[in-house]
Amino acid sequence: MVLALLLILLVLLAIFAANFVRDLIYRYKHQKSTKKYHKQEVITALLLLLPAVILGFLFVLLPIFFSLGYAFTDFDLLKPNDINFVGFDNFKTLFTELFNKGDIFYALRNTALFVVMVVPLQIGIALLLALFCNNKRRGTTIFKVCFFAPVAISLSVTAFLWLTLLSPNPAGIMNSILGSFGIPPQDFLGNKDTVMLWMVLISAWQGCGYQMLIFLSALGNIRKDLYEAARVDGANVFQRFFTVTVPGLRPTLLYIIITVFIGACRVMIQPMLLTGYVDRSMTLSYYMYTQGFTYRHVGYSCAVALILTIVIGTITLLQRKFLGEKK
Amino acid sequence: MTSIKEQLRNEPNYIPVKKSKKKIIGSIIYYIVGITLSLLFIFPLLYMVSASTKTPEADAFSAGTIMMFLPDFSNITHIFDNYAVIFGEYGVWKYALNSFAYAAIVIVFNIIVNGLAGYVLAKFDFPGKGFFNFIILFLIVVPVETSIIPLYSIAKQILGLKGNLSVLAVVLPSIISVFNIFLFTQFFSSIPKEYEEAMHIDGASRLRVFFDLILPTSKPIVATTAVFTFIGVWNDYIWPSMVLPNAGDDSWPLLPIQAALNSIRSIENITNGEIMASLVVTSIPIFVLYAAAQKYIVKGFGTAGLKM
Repeated sequence: MVLALLLILLVLLAIFAANFVRDLIYRYKHQKSTKKYHKQEVITALLLLLPAVILGFLFVLLPIFFSLGYAFTDFDLLKPNDINFVGFDNFKTLFTELFNKGDIFYALRNTALFVVMVVPLQIGIALLLALFCNNKRRGTTIFKVCFFAPVAISLSVTAFLWLTLLSPNPAGIMNSILGSFGIPPQDFLGNKDTVMLWMVLISAWQGCGYQMLIFLSALGNIRKDLYEAARVDGANVFQRFFTVTVPGLRPTLLYIIITVFIGACRVMIQPMLLTGYVDRSMTLSYYMYTQGFTYRHVGYSCAVALILTIVIGTITLLQRKFLGEKK
Repeated sequence: MTSIKEQLRNEPNYIPVKKSKKKIIGSIIYYIVGITLSLLFIFPLLYMVSASTKTPEADAFSAGTIMMFLPDFSNITHIFDNYAVIFGEYGVWKYALNSFAYAAIVIVFNIIVNGLAGYVLAKFDFPGKGFFNFIILFLIVVPVETSIIPLYSIAKQILGLKGNLSVLAVVLPSIISVFNIFLFTQFFSSIPKEYEEAMHIDGASRLRVFFDLILPTSKPIVATTAVFTFIGVWNDYIWPSMVLPNAGDDSWPLLPIQAALNSIRSIENITNGEIMASLVVTSIPIFVLYAAAQKYIVKGFGTAGLKM
């Protein structure tokens, strides 16, 4: 493992040295047009960069390289000195598991379900709230504070709070509210038909205030005279929304779709704390974490991560291509 | 003192603007919808706060009534009893103090380390600069799926951060932030070169320039970074609970408050009110920060757009 570390370090240093020399030669050839490097300045620059370079190498680059490398080994967290190269075995196991309806099948299904529901729901609510608050009436600030309040709460506090609210006990909060409407007590998180729905509702509840604020600042940047012009041309509220507001929000909307999508694909803490590792609610990230950390199959876990990265990267690129850069 | 409105009313040609009935009804509907929506959003928080003030009996008694969302007024002198228990008996303040300490250390080093890197990339001329810029851009654009397991193996097996050294494993990875380097580089580039040169002529070193000129003139970006770093460290749950040993019989546990919630919840005979009180305690610093640093947080949203 330390050997791999040294190897990666050497390769990166070599690339850097190559760049360093190339830049030097470039300057040497074009000496007349550009100024020279000062030796003192170069040394100070590299010294001041050093802390960031060391930490960045150890905690940002190295994990990425290791993750790539481990995916092709049988690395077990308990046996760090016995790592064997196994080729594509991890990926084979992954796909066999998937087709035989192993855990990863449920993880994939739940994650897909979660993403498909939460992305439109959260963004839709955020946009509606932003439009609702986007006027000069008194008191909108209080509304904004209320809508934003859940964002300030951490994921773990949210999970523990909702665990109490959604208690299957008939005296639980949500059950007693439903009870007053004559609905019998439910096991919200224990029922496989409703558990993902509640995950989605909780996530949207917690997240949409953030997107609302981003939408609000984008709405504030849309030129008012465009609305005036549309009004003079006789456009009604809906026409004004689709001809002025929507085009004005387009870049913001793209940014929000991509960030919410990526965040939704990574969902892990909610299932972990709300239900634990069970078929009905586990997600891909949680599956990856459990395989790597609880069961110690690091190699296999990294293979899952690699597939996940490729899928998310591809979808993000496609979103950018089809939704963005249209004028 | 008369208000502007009253002054206007006293003008000779004042014509009162009458609100049409339609507008008033519109307003009423608007506020009814607004209040309903607001309650829909904050009722879980109202429950959390009010339950934290109740004894188990009062909690059971209020279930199913509107009293669930109101503090226990009949018992007003004992409203903070649950807080006294979690601070006194369960030592929640120790976890909170840990969280503050981790956050403080990370904020200071995060700004110095990433700030220096941003300063170098913005102001220095040296060969190999393109290489660093490329790596930073790559790491920002490509969504790398969580590499938390290899990170764990690096911290524990290569660096050997075990036992009390685990504290370093919590702090060190949060200090480096590629996005912050990018932000600092952007911001520092806009500081005019003349200031820096003036300080050079006076014989100041590069480090002096950084601490006396670059950081003070970049207060907004430094504050924004500090606020978001604090939120990030305070709210982190998964990483500290992975690398830190569980709160055992140590007199001073190392867990930050978020990660400790799990073990607090499973304390024997803990009441719902006490759990809610610890959730409130965990959330208060973030609420205070949001209220106090609004300006910088809104600015942060502006820069969030850069993250594309």
